[in-house]
Amino acid sequence: MNTMSILVVDDDPVIRHLLEKRLRKAEYEVDVAVDGYAAEKLLEQKRYDVVLTDLMMPGGIGGIEVLDIAKSISNDIEVILITAHSSVDTAVQAMKKGAIDYLEKPINFDELFLRLEKIVTIKALLQNARDIHEAMGASEYAASETIQDLELLAAKLQNRLDKVENELRDTNKDPENRIAKALNLIAGL
Amino acid sequence: MIKITPNEIKTISQYIYDISGIYLDHNKTYLFETRLSSIAEALGCKSYQELHTKAKNDRSKGIERKIIDAISTNETLFFRDKGPFELLQHKLLPEIIDARSSRSTSLKTSIKIWSAAASTGQELYSIAIVIKELLQDVSKFNIKLLGTDISDNAIAQASYGKYNKFEIERGLPRAQLQKYFTPAGEFWKIKDDIRAMVNFRKMNLMQPFTAMGKFDIIFCRNVAIYFTLPDRKKLFNKIADCLADDGFLVIGSTESLTGVCPRFVPKRHLRSIFYQKK
Repeated sequence: MNTMSILVVDDDPVIRHLLEKRLRKAEYEVDVAVDGYAAEKLLEQKRYDVVLTDLMMPGGIGGIEVLDIAKSISNDIEVILITAHSSVDTAVQAMKKGAIDYLEKPINFDELFLRLEKIVTIKALLQNARDIHEAMGASEYAASETIQDLELLAAKLQNRLDKVENELRDTNKDPENRIAKALNLIAGL
Repeated sequence: MIKITPNEIKTISQYIYDISGIYLDHNKTYLFETRLSSIAEALGCKSYQELHTKAKNDRSKGIERKIIDAISTNETLFFRDKGPFELLQHKLLPEIIDARSSRSTSLKTSIKIWSAAASTGQELYSIAIVIKELLQDVSKFNIKLLGTDISDNAIAQASYGKYNKFEIERGLPRAQLQKYFTPAGEFWKIKDDIRAMVNFRKMNLMQPFTAMGKFDIIFCRNVAIYFTLPDRKKLFNKIADCLADDGFLVIGSTESLTGVCPRFVPKRHLRSIFYQKK
């Protein structure tokens, strides 16, 4: 069972339908966009785990722009670009801008599924790290409250003990008087 | 992974203590193995005894540095535990600025802050961000922010000020991320105006503090926990020496100075504790 939601963006209807069919068969949750504009609308409405987008698309919003839009919504959205062999350089540029991977046409589905599984693993590890951090934070917070209370109490007791000691050591005063004052200081704790 | 023997644990932990002051529990076999095995293997060592010999004979101290990098824990976040930074913003900085600016009207008010276990820099940059937000025009002040750490790798990353999205996304609100960092692919780099406020250098807290001067605020969080009690006592005594008489010390939220340094008194502000000299 694959729980990731994937947005497929491609203006070529044949590739788009093929991707949709194969990904659905692998039990991913799939939406499709016919171009960059449709992708932008869907990205604004719904949070996807992965965006699989063609690099070259007609109109003002190509693959790079889809990448920018997705990343501006959340860094957690992973973007894979689909490119023709001739535009590999652009795909590498896209990876510098934050795309997690790129696939060359014609799409090798084994390769695509391997990459998606890797993304699933990375996301699970990240979630696990977040959970551990949260648990650590919670226990640290609880421990710090106890430790800080004890720290202040210890300082208060030390301060009082210093006063008791000073009182008892003050040889100018009458011993009984000193003991009485020291007892008073202790009783006040 | 190369297995470590009880005898090797003794040798290696003494060696690590000598070079870093970090005391590793002898029961934590996995810690020695997971952190040192790859260094040993890369050097072609068959055992930790061999690694020890190689490290001691290495005049360049390159192996020693690698071992320190591997052993020192660099777990740190931007604004890790909000408490200390709220304390800094609402209590420590205003008090220091008040005290320092009344002294002289002609000179720039000087503020010196030290992050004693700076790790990869997140704490000091968080301090710089708090100062920038509080003071706005920092050029009207003479601000010195120093970060030190025992690990060369940590200092190098801190100086570079570049963090991957996983290091940065936890703890740092998006508004501050975009205000103080520039995106660079999967990474975020601290902006020059914040970078220019700080300095990093390598320092072993076990060694004498030389030419440090007096600091107004010292952050020494979650590092003394790796030291033995006698070493902790020495460390906080040295810290007391280089803290201004009206200065502030902040330690980790689960740390304590009871029985460690009688020169400091704890004080509470909201839900944080800070220390001042008696």
